[in-house]
Amino acid sequence: MIKMEKVTKVFKGDVVALRDVTIDIGKGEFVFLVGPSGSGKSTFIRLLNREDVPEHGRIFVAGRDIGGLSGWRVPYLRRNIGYVFQDFKLLQKKTVAENVAFALEVIGKGPQVINRQVPAILELVGLSRKMDRFPRELSGGEQQRVSIARAFVNRPLILLADEPTGNLDPTTSVGIMRLLERINEIGTTVVMATHDSSVVDSMRQRVVELDRGMVVRDQARGVYE
Amino acid sequence: MFSFRYVLRETGQNLWRNILLAVATVVTVGVSLAMFGGFMLFQVAVDSATARWQDGVEFIVWMNTDAGTDEDSSVRNQLDESPGVDRWEYIDRQQSYEEFKEFFEDTPEVLEIFTAEGVPPYYRVVPTDPDPDVVEELGSQFKGKPGVRTVTFAGDVIRDVQNLSNRAGRVLFIGSIVLLGASTLLILNTLAVAIGNRRPEIEIMRLVGATKWFIRVPFMLEGLVQGLLGAIVAMISNSLLRNYVIDQFSDADGLQLLAGFKVDDAAMLQVNLLVVAIAVGVAVIGSNLAVAMHLNE
Repeated sequence: MIKMEKVTKVFKGDVVALRDVTIDIGKGEFVFLVGPSGSGKSTFIRLLNREDVPEHGRIFVAGRDIGGLSGWRVPYLRRNIGYVFQDFKLLQKKTVAENVAFALEVIGKGPQVINRQVPAILELVGLSRKMDRFPRELSGGEQQRVSIARAFVNRPLILLADEPTGNLDPTTSVGIMRLLERINEIGTTVVMATHDSSVVDSMRQRVVELDRGMVVRDQARGVYE
Repeated sequence: MFSFRYVLRETGQNLWRNILLAVATVVTVGVSLAMFGGFMLFQVAVDSATARWQDGVEFIVWMNTDAGTDEDSSVRNQLDESPGVDRWEYIDRQQSYEEFKEFFEDTPEVLEIFTAEGVPPYYRVVPTDPDPDVVEELGSQFKGKPGVRTVTFAGDVIRDVQNLSNRAGRVLFIGSIVLLGASTLLILNTLAVAIGNRRPEIEIMRLVGATKWFIRVPFMLEGLVQGLLGAIVAMISNSLLRNYVIDQFSDADGLQLLAGFKVDDAAMLQVNLLVVAIAVGVAVIGSNLAVAMHLNE
Protein backbone atom coordinates (compact mmCIF):
# COMPACT_ATOMS: atom_id res chain seq x y z
CA MET A 1 0.00 0.00 0.00
CA ILE A 2 2.86 2.38 0.91
CA LYS A 3 6.40 2.07 -0.35
CA MET A 4 9.36 4.39 0.14
CA GLU A 5 12.56 3.81 -1.81
CA LYS A 6 15.70 5.57 -0.59
CA VAL A 7 13.76 8.72 0.32
CA THR A 8 15.71 11.77 1.48
CA LYS A 9 14.11 15.04 2.49
CA VAL A 10 16.25 18.09 3.20
CA PHE A 11 14.89 21.39 4.50
CA LYS A 12 16.41 24.86 4.23
CA GLY A 13 19.78 25.21 5.88
CA ASP A 14 20.69 21.64 4.93
CA VAL A 15 18.56 20.18 7.72
CA VAL A 16 18.11 16.52 6.81
CA ALA A 17 14.62 15.44 7.96
CA LEU A 18 14.71 12.00 6.34
CA ARG A 19 17.79 10.20 5.10
CA ASP A 20 17.73 7.31 2.64
CA VAL A 21 14.51 5.80 4.07
CA THR A 22 13.29 2.58 2.50
CA ILE A 23 10.14 0.97 3.86
CA ASP A 24 7.21 -1.12 2.67
CA ILE A 25 3.83 -1.01 4.44
CA GLY A 26 1.22 -3.53 3.34
CA LYS A 27 -2.53 -3.11 2.94
CA GLY A 28 -4.35 -3.23 6.26
CA GLU A 29 -1.21 -2.85 8.40
CA PHE A 30 -1.10 -0.75 11.56
CA VAL A 31 2.26 0.98 11.89
CA PHE A 32 3.56 3.17 14.72
CA LEU A 33 6.21 5.74 13.86
CA VAL A 34 8.23 6.45 16.98
CA GLY A 35 11.31 8.45 17.79
CA PRO A 36 12.37 11.65 19.53
CA SER A 37 11.19 15.10 18.46
CA GLY A 38 12.86 16.12 15.21
CA SER A 39 13.50 12.53 14.19
CA GLY A 40 11.43 12.91 10.99
CA LYS A 41 8.05 11.40 11.96
CA SER A 42 5.94 14.35 10.85
CA THR A 43 7.98 14.73 7.66
CA PHE A 44 7.35 11.05 6.94
CA ILE A 45 3.60 11.66 7.20
CA ARG A 46 3.68 14.91 5.22
CA LEU A 47 5.50 13.16 2.38
CA LEU A 48 2.83 10.44 2.20
CA ASN A 49 0.15 13.11 1.86
CA ARG A 50 2.18 15.03 -0.76
CA GLU A 51 2.35 18.10 1.44
CA ASP A 52 6.06 17.89 0.75
CA VAL A 53 8.12 16.19 -1.92
CA PRO A 54 11.44 14.41 -1.31
CA GLU A 55 14.75 15.58 -2.75
CA HIS A 56 15.68 12.00 -3.58
CA GLY A 57 13.95 8.66 -3.77
CA ARG A 58 10.47 7.56 -4.74
CA ILE A 59 7.23 7.16 -2.80
CA PHE A 60 4.44 4.85 -3.94
CA VAL A 61 0.92 4.99 -2.53
CA ALA A 62 -1.49 2.30 -3.76
CA GLY A 63 1.01 1.46 -6.49
CA ARG A 64 1.29 5.02 -7.81
CA ASP A 65 4.50 7.05 -7.71
CA ILE A 66 3.21 10.18 -5.96
CA GLY A 67 6.41 12.14 -6.57
CA GLY A 68 5.49 12.40 -10.23
CA LEU A 69 1.88 13.43 -9.63
CA SER A 70 0.93 16.68 -11.29
CA GLY A 71 -0.53 19.34 -8.98
CA TRP A 72 -4.13 18.89 -10.11
CA ARG A 73 -4.01 15.16 -9.21
CA VAL A 74 -2.84 15.69 -5.64
CA PRO A 75 -6.39 16.36 -4.30
CA TYR A 76 -7.51 13.02 -5.75
CA LEU A 77 -4.60 11.28 -3.96
CA ARG A 78 -5.67 12.95 -0.71
CA ARG A 79 -9.22 11.64 -1.06
CA ASN A 80 -7.70 8.20 -0.46
CA ILE A 81 -5.81 9.33 2.64
CA GLY A 82 -7.47 10.38 5.89
CA TYR A 83 -5.56 12.74 8.19
CA VAL A 84 -5.93 13.00 11.97
CA PHE A 85 -4.23 15.86 13.82
CA GLN A 86 -2.96 16.21 17.36
CA ASP A 87 -4.94 19.46 17.80
CA PHE A 88 -8.09 18.10 16.08
CA LYS A 89 -8.44 21.13 13.75
CA LEU A 90 -12.23 21.21 14.03
CA LEU A 91 -14.15 24.17 12.68
CA GLN A 92 -15.56 25.89 15.75
CA LYS A 93 -18.58 27.44 14.01
CA LYS A 94 -19.78 24.12 12.64
CA THR A 95 -21.54 21.39 14.55
CA VAL A 96 -20.15 17.87 14.84
CA ALA A 97 -22.24 16.70 11.87
CA GLU A 98 -21.33 19.77 9.83
CA ASN A 99 -17.61 19.26 10.52
CA VAL A 100 -17.83 15.71 9.21
CA ALA A 101 -20.11 16.64 6.30
CA PHE A 102 -17.67 19.41 5.31
CA ALA A 103 -15.09 16.80 4.28
CA LEU A 104 -17.59 15.28 1.83
CA GLU A 105 -19.07 18.54 0.67
CA VAL A 106 -15.75 20.03 -0.43
CA ILE A 107 -14.96 17.05 -2.61
CA GLY A 108 -18.27 17.52 -4.39
CA LYS A 109 -20.41 14.83 -2.75
CA GLY A 110 -24.14 15.48 -2.93
CA PRO A 111 -26.67 15.72 -0.09
CA GLN A 112 -27.79 12.10 -0.54
CA VAL A 113 -24.29 10.74 0.08
CA ILE A 114 -23.73 13.18 2.94
CA ASN A 115 -27.03 12.31 4.61
CA ARG A 116 -26.19 8.61 4.39
CA GLN A 117 -22.51 8.61 5.35
CA VAL A 118 -22.34 11.22 8.11
CA PRO A 119 -24.76 9.50 10.54
CA ALA A 120 -23.09 6.15 9.79
CA ILE A 121 -19.60 7.39 10.63
CA LEU A 122 -20.84 9.22 13.74
CA GLU A 123 -22.41 5.95 14.85
CA LEU A 124 -19.03 4.23 14.33
CA VAL A 125 -17.18 6.78 16.49
CA GLY A 126 -19.94 6.82 19.11
CA LEU A 127 -21.12 10.40 18.67
CA SER A 128 -24.58 9.88 17.17
CA ARG A 129 -26.25 11.66 20.05
CA LYS A 130 -23.92 14.65 19.87
CA MET A 131 -24.09 15.38 16.16
CA ASP A 132 -25.67 18.82 16.75
CA ARG A 133 -23.17 19.91 19.38
CA PHE A 134 -20.39 22.41 18.67
CA PRO A 135 -16.74 21.43 19.26
CA ARG A 136 -16.48 23.69 22.33
CA GLU A 137 -19.23 21.62 23.95
CA LEU A 138 -17.21 18.40 23.63
CA SER A 139 -14.38 16.87 25.65
CA GLY A 140 -10.92 16.46 24.09
CA GLY A 141 -11.52 12.79 23.42
CA GLU A 142 -14.85 13.52 21.76
CA GLN A 143 -13.26 16.22 19.62
CA GLN A 144 -10.62 13.74 18.47
CA ARG A 145 -13.40 11.28 17.61
CA VAL A 146 -14.98 13.94 15.40
CA SER A 147 -11.59 14.52 13.79
CA ILE A 148 -11.29 10.77 13.12
CA ALA A 149 -14.84 10.65 11.77
CA ARG A 150 -14.03 13.48 9.39
CA ALA A 151 -10.84 11.73 8.25
CA PHE A 152 -12.61 8.41 7.74
CA VAL A 153 -16.01 9.49 6.38
CA ASN A 154 -14.80 9.15 2.79
CA ARG A 155 -13.57 5.59 3.54
CA PRO A 156 -9.93 6.26 2.62
CA LEU A 157 -7.46 3.43 1.99
CA ILE A 158 -4.95 4.95 4.39
CA LEU A 159 -5.35 6.84 7.66
CA LEU A 160 -2.43 9.03 8.77
CA ALA A 161 -2.44 10.16 12.39
CA ASP A 162 0.08 12.65 13.74
CA GLU A 163 0.18 12.35 17.55
CA PRO A 164 -3.60 11.79 17.82
CA THR A 165 -3.38 11.13 21.57
CA GLY A 166 -0.87 13.90 22.24
CA ASN A 167 -3.45 16.23 23.80
CA LEU A 168 -5.46 13.54 25.62
CA ASP A 169 -5.32 11.91 29.03
CA PRO A 170 -4.36 8.20 29.19
CA THR A 171 -7.93 6.93 29.63
CA THR A 172 -9.24 8.92 26.71
CA SER A 173 -6.23 7.82 24.64
CA VAL A 174 -7.26 4.21 25.10
CA GLY A 175 -10.67 4.97 23.64
CA ILE A 176 -9.12 6.73 20.64
CA MET A 177 -6.75 3.80 20.06
CA ARG A 178 -9.65 1.33 20.18
CA LEU A 179 -11.37 3.41 17.54
CA LEU A 180 -8.28 3.46 15.30
CA GLU A 181 -7.94 -0.28 15.81
CA ARG A 182 -11.54 -0.79 14.63
CA ILE A 183 -10.88 1.32 11.56
CA ASN A 184 -7.77 -0.76 10.90
CA GLU A 185 -9.76 -3.99 11.24
CA ILE A 186 -12.10 -2.79 8.48
CA GLY A 187 -9.05 -2.96 6.17
CA THR A 188 -7.68 0.57 6.38
CA THR A 189 -3.92 0.98 6.58
CA VAL A 190 -3.08 3.13 9.62
CA VAL A 191 0.21 4.99 10.07
CA MET A 192 0.46 6.78 13.39
CA ALA A 193 3.26 9.00 14.64
CA THR A 194 3.40 9.02 18.44
CA HIS A 195 5.40 9.70 21.56
CA ASP A 196 2.94 7.75 23.67
CA SER A 197 4.81 4.64 24.85
CA SER A 198 1.86 3.15 26.72
CA VAL A 199 -0.27 3.20 23.59
CA VAL A 200 2.46 1.55 21.51
CA ASP A 201 3.22 -1.04 24.14
CA SER A 202 -0.41 -1.98 24.64
CA MET A 203 -1.21 -2.40 20.94
CA ARG A 204 1.81 -4.59 19.94
CA GLN A 205 1.71 -3.58 16.29
CA ARG A 206 4.53 -2.93 13.85
CA VAL A 207 6.89 -0.21 15.12
CA VAL A 208 9.19 1.85 12.90
CA GLU A 209 11.67 3.93 14.87
CA LEU A 210 13.25 6.99 13.33
CA ASP A 211 16.31 8.79 14.64
CA ARG A 212 17.82 11.82 12.92
CA GLY A 213 15.89 10.96 9.78
CA MET A 214 16.97 7.36 9.53
CA VAL A 215 15.06 4.14 10.20
CA VAL A 216 16.91 2.59 13.12
CA ARG A 217 14.36 -0.10 13.94
CA ASP A 218 11.51 -1.82 12.09
CA GLN A 219 9.90 -4.37 14.35
CA ALA A 220 6.76 -6.45 13.89
CA ARG A 221 4.57 -6.55 17.04
CA GLY A 222 7.03 -4.15 18.63
CA VAL A 223 7.17 -1.93 21.68
CA TYR A 224 8.09 1.73 22.12
CA GLU A 225 11.69 1.11 23.22
CA MET B 1 -17.61 18.25 -9.58
CA PHE B 2 -18.69 21.60 -8.25
CA SER B 3 -21.52 21.97 -5.80
CA PHE B 4 -23.06 25.27 -6.86
CA ARG B 5 -25.12 25.41 -3.69
CA TYR B 6 -21.91 25.16 -1.67
CA VAL B 7 -20.14 27.80 -3.76
CA LEU B 8 -23.06 30.26 -3.53
CA ARG B 9 -23.43 29.68 0.22
CA GLU B 10 -19.72 30.19 0.87
CA THR B 11 -19.62 33.31 -1.31
CA GLY B 12 -22.59 34.75 0.56
CA GLN B 13 -21.06 33.92 3.93
CA ASN B 14 -17.73 35.49 2.96
CA LEU B 15 -19.47 38.70 1.91
CA TRP B 16 -21.54 38.79 5.09
CA ARG B 17 -18.58 38.15 7.39
CA ASN B 18 -16.71 41.16 5.98
CA ILE B 19 -19.75 43.28 5.24
CA LEU B 20 -18.15 46.65 6.08
CA LEU B 21 -15.09 45.98 3.97
CA ALA B 22 -17.30 44.62 1.18
CA VAL B 23 -19.45 47.78 1.26
CA ALA B 24 -16.33 49.96 1.14
CA THR B 25 -15.09 48.01 -1.84
CA VAL B 26 -18.42 48.24 -3.67
CA VAL B 27 -18.60 51.99 -3.05
CA THR B 28 -15.03 52.55 -4.26
CA VAL B 29 -15.56 50.43 -7.36
CA GLY B 30 -18.88 52.22 -7.92
CA VAL B 31 -17.40 55.72 -7.56
CA SER B 32 -14.44 54.96 -9.83
CA LEU B 33 -16.66 53.40 -12.47
CA ALA B 34 -19.14 56.29 -12.14
CA MET B 35 -16.27 58.70 -12.81
CA PHE B 36 -15.24 56.64 -15.79
CA GLY B 37 -18.86 56.45 -16.99
CA GLY B 38 -19.22 60.23 -16.49
CA PHE B 39 -16.09 60.79 -18.56
CA MET B 40 -17.48 58.57 -21.31
CA LEU B 41 -20.93 60.19 -21.25
CA PHE B 42 -19.54 63.73 -21.44
CA GLN B 43 -17.32 62.70 -24.33
CA VAL B 44 -20.33 61.22 -26.12
CA ALA B 45 -22.40 64.34 -25.42
CA VAL B 46 -19.66 66.75 -26.58
CA ASP B 47 -19.04 64.62 -29.67
CA SER B 48 -22.76 64.68 -30.35
CA ALA B 49 -22.95 68.48 -29.95
CA THR B 50 -19.88 69.12 -32.07
CA ALA B 51 -20.24 66.19 -34.46
CA ARG B 52 -19.79 68.35 -37.53
CA TRP B 53 -16.64 69.91 -36.13
CA GLN B 54 -14.63 66.79 -35.35
CA ASP B 55 -11.21 65.89 -36.72
CA GLY B 56 -9.99 69.43 -37.38
CA VAL B 57 -12.94 70.62 -39.46
CA GLU B 58 -12.78 74.44 -39.29
CA PHE B 59 -15.51 75.50 -41.69
CA ILE B 60 -18.49 74.08 -43.50
CA VAL B 61 -19.67 75.06 -46.97
CA TRP B 62 -23.43 74.60 -47.03
CA MET B 63 -24.91 74.09 -50.52
CA ASN B 64 -28.37 75.09 -51.62
CA THR B 65 -30.87 72.24 -51.61
CA ASP B 66 -31.39 72.82 -55.34
CA ALA B 67 -27.69 73.27 -56.25
CA GLY B 68 -26.91 71.76 -59.66
CA THR B 69 -24.10 69.42 -60.68
CA ASP B 70 -22.10 72.24 -62.27
CA GLU B 71 -22.26 74.33 -59.12
CA ASP B 72 -21.28 71.34 -57.03
CA SER B 73 -18.33 70.54 -59.31
CA SER B 74 -17.16 74.12 -59.16
CA VAL B 75 -16.97 74.03 -55.35
CA ARG B 76 -15.18 70.65 -55.42
CA ASN B 77 -12.63 71.90 -57.94
CA GLN B 78 -11.92 74.96 -55.83
CA LEU B 79 -11.50 72.78 -52.72
CA ASP B 80 -9.16 70.42 -54.60
CA GLU B 81 -7.08 73.23 -56.05
CA SER B 82 -6.87 75.44 -52.97
CA PRO B 83 -3.44 75.00 -51.30
CA GLY B 84 -5.01 76.09 -47.99
CA VAL B 85 -7.30 73.04 -47.92
CA ASP B 86 -5.81 69.92 -46.41
CA ARG B 87 -8.82 67.65 -47.04
CA TRP B 88 -12.58 67.79 -47.31
CA GLU B 89 -15.57 65.51 -47.01
CA TYR B 90 -18.88 65.74 -48.83
CA ILE B 91 -22.02 65.01 -46.81
CA ASP B 92 -24.80 64.33 -49.29
CA ARG B 93 -28.44 65.19 -48.79
CA GLN B 94 -29.38 61.80 -47.33
CA GLN B 95 -26.43 61.72 -44.85
CA SER B 96 -27.18 65.32 -43.94
CA TYR B 97 -30.82 64.41 -43.30
CA GLU B 98 -29.76 61.48 -41.08
CA GLU B 99 -27.56 63.84 -39.03
CA PHE B 100 -30.43 66.31 -38.88
CA LYS B 101 -32.80 63.63 -37.59
CA GLU B 102 -30.30 62.58 -34.95
CA PHE B 103 -29.75 66.19 -33.92
CA PHE B 104 -33.46 66.89 -33.50
CA GLU B 105 -34.63 63.47 -32.37
CA ASP B 106 -36.07 64.95 -29.20
CA THR B 107 -38.12 67.56 -31.06
CA PRO B 108 -40.43 65.66 -33.40
CA GLU B 109 -42.26 68.87 -34.32
CA VAL B 110 -39.10 70.04 -36.13
CA LEU B 111 -38.67 66.69 -37.82
CA GLU B 112 -42.23 66.81 -39.10
CA ILE B 113 -41.56 70.03 -41.01
CA PHE B 114 -38.45 68.83 -42.85
CA THR B 115 -37.89 66.04 -45.37
CA ALA B 116 -34.62 64.89 -46.98
CA GLU B 117 -35.26 67.30 -49.84
CA GLY B 118 -35.36 70.23 -47.45
CA VAL B 119 -32.00 69.54 -45.82
CA PRO B 120 -28.91 70.90 -47.60
CA PRO B 121 -25.81 68.86 -48.44
CA TYR B 122 -22.49 70.31 -47.30
CA TYR B 123 -18.70 70.11 -47.39
CA ARG B 124 -16.68 69.69 -44.20
CA VAL B 125 -13.32 71.32 -44.77
CA VAL B 126 -10.06 70.78 -42.91
CA PRO B 127 -7.59 73.59 -43.66
CA THR B 128 -3.82 73.14 -43.61
CA ASP B 129 -3.50 76.03 -41.14
CA PRO B 130 -6.06 76.27 -38.28
CA ASP B 131 -5.18 79.94 -37.61
CA PRO B 132 -8.58 81.74 -37.29
CA ASP B 133 -7.62 84.56 -39.69
CA VAL B 134 -6.39 82.13 -42.33
CA VAL B 135 -9.52 79.98 -41.92
CA GLU B 136 -11.77 83.04 -42.14
CA GLU B 137 -10.11 84.16 -45.36
CA LEU B 138 -10.16 80.67 -46.87
CA GLY B 139 -13.83 80.08 -46.03
CA SER B 140 -14.89 83.48 -47.27
CA GLN B 141 -13.67 82.53 -50.76
CA PHE B 142 -16.65 80.19 -50.98
CA LYS B 143 -19.24 82.70 -49.86
CA GLY B 144 -21.41 83.94 -52.68
CA LYS B 145 -20.35 81.22 -55.10
CA PRO B 146 -23.19 79.87 -57.23
CA GLY B 147 -24.99 77.06 -55.38
CA VAL B 148 -23.45 77.95 -52.02
CA ARG B 149 -25.98 78.83 -49.37
CA THR B 150 -23.62 79.90 -46.62
CA VAL B 151 -20.28 79.15 -44.93
CA THR B 152 -20.10 78.54 -41.21
CA PHE B 153 -16.97 78.48 -39.04
CA ALA B 154 -16.11 76.38 -36.04
CA GLY B 155 -15.37 79.49 -34.11
CA ASP B 156 -13.92 79.96 -30.67
CA VAL B 157 -16.94 78.65 -28.77
CA ILE B 158 -16.85 75.22 -30.43
CA ARG B 159 -13.11 74.94 -29.89
CA ASP B 160 -13.44 76.13 -26.30
CA VAL B 161 -16.09 73.50 -25.64
CA GLN B 162 -13.93 70.82 -27.18
CA ASN B 163 -10.85 71.94 -25.28
CA LEU B 164 -12.72 72.17 -22.00
CA SER B 165 -14.24 68.77 -22.65
CA ASN B 166 -10.82 67.32 -23.42
CA ARG B 167 -9.27 68.78 -20.27
CA ALA B 168 -12.16 67.76 -18.01
CA GLY B 169 -12.19 64.37 -19.71
CA ARG B 170 -8.49 63.88 -19.00
CA VAL B 171 -8.94 64.74 -15.33
CA LEU B 172 -11.92 62.41 -15.02
CA PHE B 173 -10.12 59.69 -16.96
CA ILE B 174 -6.94 59.88 -14.86
CA GLY B 175 -9.00 60.09 -11.66
CA SER B 176 -11.04 57.07 -12.61
CA ILE B 177 -7.94 55.06 -13.57
CA VAL B 178 -6.36 55.88 -10.17
CA LEU B 179 -9.58 54.89 -8.40
CA LEU B 180 -9.90 51.72 -10.46
CA GLY B 181 -6.37 50.83 -9.35
CA ALA B 182 -7.45 51.50 -5.76
CA SER B 183 -10.54 49.35 -6.34
CA THR B 184 -8.40 46.48 -7.54
CA LEU B 185 -6.25 46.75 -4.42
CA LEU B 186 -9.35 47.00 -2.22
CA ILE B 187 -10.83 43.84 -3.75
CA LEU B 188 -7.44 42.17 -3.23
CA ASN B 189 -7.40 43.25 0.43
CA THR B 190 -11.02 42.25 1.07
CA LEU B 191 -10.32 38.80 -0.31
CA ALA B 192 -7.05 38.58 1.64
CA VAL B 193 -9.05 39.21 4.83
CA ALA B 194 -11.67 36.65 3.76
CA ILE B 195 -8.93 34.10 3.04
CA GLY B 196 -7.29 34.87 6.39
CA ASN B 197 -10.60 34.38 8.21
CA ARG B 198 -11.10 31.02 6.55
CA ARG B 199 -7.54 29.73 6.92
CA PRO B 200 -8.55 26.74 9.12
CA GLU B 201 -11.26 25.69 6.68
CA ILE B 202 -8.88 26.04 3.74
CA GLU B 203 -6.33 23.82 5.49
CA ILE B 204 -8.97 21.14 6.05
CA MET B 205 -10.18 21.46 2.48
CA ARG B 206 -6.66 20.94 1.14
CA LEU B 207 -6.08 17.88 3.28
CA VAL B 208 -9.35 16.13 2.51
CA GLY B 209 -8.80 16.54 -1.22
CA ALA B 210 -10.73 19.61 -2.35
CA THR B 211 -9.46 20.76 -5.72
CA LYS B 212 -7.65 24.05 -6.16
CA TRP B 213 -10.62 25.54 -8.04
CA PHE B 214 -13.14 24.37 -5.48
CA ILE B 215 -11.19 26.33 -2.87
CA ARG B 216 -10.65 29.35 -5.11
CA VAL B 217 -14.01 29.84 -6.75
CA PRO B 218 -15.98 31.21 -3.73
CA PHE B 219 -13.30 33.88 -3.22
CA MET B 220 -13.17 34.78 -6.90
CA LEU B 221 -16.95 34.91 -7.03
CA GLU B 222 -16.91 37.20 -3.99
CA GLY B 223 -14.62 39.60 -5.88
CA LEU B 224 -16.85 39.37 -8.94
CA VAL B 225 -19.98 40.14 -6.92
CA GLN B 226 -18.27 43.20 -5.42
CA GLY B 227 -17.23 44.36 -8.89
CA LEU B 228 -20.70 43.87 -10.34
CA LEU B 229 -22.40 45.63 -7.42
CA GLY B 230 -19.98 48.51 -8.05
CA ALA B 231 -21.01 48.46 -11.72
CA ILE B 232 -24.68 48.72 -10.70
CA VAL B 233 -23.84 51.77 -8.55
CA ALA B 234 -22.04 53.30 -11.53
CA MET B 235 -24.91 52.54 -13.93
CA ILE B 236 -27.38 54.24 -11.59
CA SER B 237 -25.02 57.22 -11.43
CA ASN B 238 -24.72 57.23 -15.25
CA SER B 239 -28.48 57.22 -15.60
CA LEU B 240 -28.86 60.13 -13.16
CA LEU B 241 -26.08 62.04 -14.92
CA ARG B 242 -27.75 61.58 -18.28
CA ASN B 243 -31.29 62.40 -17.17
CA TYR B 244 -30.62 65.24 -14.75
CA VAL B 245 -27.45 66.90 -16.02
CA ILE B 246 -26.73 66.23 -19.69
CA ASP B 247 -30.36 66.39 -20.81
CA GLN B 248 -30.79 69.65 -18.88
CA PHE B 249 -28.01 71.19 -20.99
CA SER B 250 -29.69 70.18 -24.23
CA ASP B 251 -33.02 71.56 -23.03
CA ALA B 252 -31.53 74.89 -21.99
CA ASP B 253 -33.15 77.71 -23.97
CA GLY B 254 -30.83 80.00 -25.87
CA LEU B 255 -27.86 77.67 -25.78
CA GLN B 256 -27.93 76.71 -29.45
CA LEU B 257 -24.48 75.12 -29.22
CA LEU B 258 -25.74 72.70 -26.60
CA ALA B 259 -28.79 71.64 -28.60
CA GLY B 260 -27.00 68.44 -29.64
CA PHE B 261 -25.44 67.90 -26.20
CA LYS B 262 -27.03 64.55 -25.43
CA VAL B 263 -26.47 60.83 -25.07
CA ASP B 264 -28.72 58.53 -27.05
CA ASP B 265 -29.87 55.10 -25.85
CA ALA B 266 -27.34 53.19 -27.97
CA ALA B 267 -24.43 55.22 -26.58
CA MET B 268 -25.80 54.81 -23.05
CA LEU B 269 -25.95 51.04 -23.53
CA GLN B 270 -22.38 50.99 -24.86
CA VAL B 271 -21.10 53.01 -21.89
CA ASN B 272 -22.94 50.75 -19.44
CA LEU B 273 -21.60 47.60 -21.10
CA LEU B 274 -18.10 49.08 -20.94
CA VAL B 275 -18.61 49.86 -17.23
CA VAL B 276 -19.68 46.24 -16.59
CA ALA B 277 -16.72 44.92 -18.60
CA ILE B 278 -14.28 47.09 -16.62
CA ALA B 279 -15.92 46.02 -13.34
CA VAL B 280 -15.45 42.39 -14.32
CA GLY B 281 -11.85 43.12 -15.34
CA VAL B 282 -11.07 44.87 -12.03
CA ALA B 283 -12.71 42.03 -10.08
CA VAL B 284 -10.89 39.32 -12.02
CA ILE B 285 -7.50 41.02 -11.60
CA GLY B 286 -8.07 41.74 -7.88
CA SER B 287 -9.37 38.22 -7.20
CA ASN B 288 -6.59 36.49 -9.12
CA LEU B 289 -3.93 38.53 -7.37
CA ALA B 290 -5.53 37.75 -3.99
CA VAL B 291 -5.71 33.99 -4.51
CA ALA B 292 -2.23 33.92 -6.07
CA MET B 293 -0.71 35.87 -3.17
CA HIS B 294 -2.70 34.51 -0.21
CA LEU B 295 -4.09 31.12 -1.17
CA ASN B 296 -1.27 28.65 -1.33
CA GLU B 297 -3.13 25.42 -2.04
